[in-house]
Amino acid sequence: MSNMTETSNTTDTTTTLTERNERKNELPRNAAEVTTTATRRRKPLIVVRSMWSHTEGRFALIVMAVWLAVSLISLIWTPYSLLATDGYHVWAKPSAAHILGTDGTGADVLSWLMAGSRTNLLIVILTIACAAAFGLLLVAAMVSRHSALAGASVVAVDALISIPTVLLALILAVPLGASIMVIVVACGFGYGLNLARVARPQALLAARSAYVEAALWSGASSLRVFVGHVLPNIMPVMLVQLSLSAGTAVLAESGLTYLGIGVPSGVPSWGHSLATSVKFINVYPLTVLWPGLIVTVVVIALNLLGDALGDAADPLANTQLRVVSKRAGTNPAGDKGSAA
Amino acid sequence: MRFVIRRLALFAVALFGISLVVFVALRILPGDVASIMAGLNSPPERVAALREQLGLNRSLPAQYADWVSALCHGDFGTSVLTGRSVGAQVGARAQVTFPLITLGLLIAMALGIPLGCAAALARKPAVRAAFHVVAIIGGSVPALWGGLLMILLFSRGSGLIAVFPSQGFPQAGWSDPGAAMMSLILPACTVGIIVGAGLMRYTRAALAQTAQSDAVAMAMACGMTRTQAILRVGLRLATAQLVSVIGLTFAEMITGVMVIENLFALPGIGAGLITDVGNRDLIAVQSELFMLAAFFLAIGLIVDLLHRVLDPRLQSAGDNAEVNA
Repeated sequence: MSNMTETSNTTDTTTTLTERNERKNELPRNAAEVTTTATRRRKPLIVVRSMWSHTEGRFALIVMAVWLAVSLISLIWTPYSLLATDGYHVWAKPSAAHILGTDGTGADVLSWLMAGSRTNLLIVILTIACAAAFGLLLVAAMVSRHSALAGASVVAVDALISIPTVLLALILAVPLGASIMVIVVACGFGYGLNLARVARPQALLAARSAYVEAALWSGASSLRVFVGHVLPNIMPVMLVQLSLSAGTAVLAESGLTYLGIGVPSGVPSWGHSLATSVKFINVYPLTVLWPGLIVTVVVIALNLLGDALGDAADPLANTQLRVVSKRAGTNPAGDKGSAA
Repeated sequence: MRFVIRRLALFAVALFGISLVVFVALRILPGDVASIMAGLNSPPERVAALREQLGLNRSLPAQYADWVSALCHGDFGTSVLTGRSVGAQVGARAQVTFPLITLGLLIAMALGIPLGCAAALARKPAVRAAFHVVAIIGGSVPALWGGLLMILLFSRGSGLIAVFPSQGFPQAGWSDPGAAMMSLILPACTVGIIVGAGLMRYTRAALAQTAQSDAVAMAMACGMTRTQAILRVGLRLATAQLVSVIGLTFAEMITGVMVIENLFALPGIGAGLITDVGNRDLIAVQSELFMLAAFFLAIGLIVDLLHRVLDPRLQSAGDNAEVNA
């Protein structure tokens, strides 16, 4: 990997097959993958920078940063303790003391929302990790060379994908009761299936390509081929799908918590804040505004993040990711041609 | 043909798997279900009678076999709490849920498909971006919050424009169609807007894809304008995709409207299921969960098969894929 630049320089159509085989580990994987070690390290930076250059991407990044910051701050400081109730100021209007007012027990709404953001962040991270792991496992099965395994997994995904996450959550909630695990497992399973279905065409294209053929011929293990050749190709699709799923997970949390099978009562979360204020909507409509607004803004941001990531992380759409490969002297078209 | 057989076989396997999962999930409940259901301080004879009634004193495989063989005969069991048959109970609830989701889906289609077409036809970047933002915002509102805003805006009592009843379903049910319809309008609008936003994105994406196809280029070469070509040729090409999305959406809405049913106090399938879970009504929950899962699997099967009928290109593509796989 260290002398990738040198390899790239010499990779042209005149390179003989024997020479290629000798350099099997250093061969560029495909047009998009011809990068130097330096760009490899800078890649996330380039992606973030090109996301920042668009209004939507900038909005998404700012919301994500604020969400993360508030979650971290809430671990050490909230304006009021979560258990501090002020019985004399129940349902207080927003004031200097309570910026967003108080709820039915006199607890500070802002403090609960701040603490809630860390629960939601945890749920989203766990759900996404679960979905990514399960989805990748399915993708690997779908593109595997065992035709029985591949066929079975494709049909299984098609059949299971029609089962909604709410139903899964209900099945899980019966033995587990209200718990964060219900949301994480149900959503992780559902979104993993979605991910597998969305990423399959790309993965299949990569798995059946000549460079994978070459890698397998030269003795690379299936795991190595999947991580090194298939994964980079489905990465852009995967990032988009996962950030859309993150948005859906936030929505699912509020719904499931309202139904009593999500976050257990007493644990702060946006869904909890929303659900507790619902009963009093006719009397105190204002308190329901804030948690709903936060969820909406965060979900919008996650959707925009997905769009922006899709444009920024895909080497075919974002030319900045390809600049170095040109300077390295390779001819991406030629390389593609030889792979096809 | 091979695909159809395979798909049917998997449907059967998935049904069996789901029945097993549901059964096991309900049997690993911590504590004795019978004593929880009987309530605190109930005499041991009552608990024993309940165990007998639920069949809990038999071995697990025997319980499972009983349940499945009853299911195969169309008997979904009897709710221990209400004494009514689970099938009848679900039937009554479906009379609320199905009108609600049908109305919601109609609203969603009326909103989503034209807006999606307009978004695909728009050429100015600013207009495209505006459509995009509308779709994202519509899909980002939590159902609970959207419903609350609807109540705050349009319901009698607290609403700014007091027209519709805020909650509940008339006791008389559909014998008073006017009142029943009025109580469904607000929840259906809430669902319709949220689902419509998703449908709009799908329509736009599907049309944008077909707009680049050779068929649309051909139509334009034959003298159609871009708008004509996309709406007449592109939309036809996208139909198969849209039909399967709408079918799956309709199915998903049955549980998707759970929150809305709860919020608007409508006695639908989702709200009823939540109540049964809360009551630990073992037989009812078990059969209802299975019925719903079976229904979703069936919808997935139908949509898959329908998709192939509507899009003949898939049949040959599918066969090729099977050879490659």
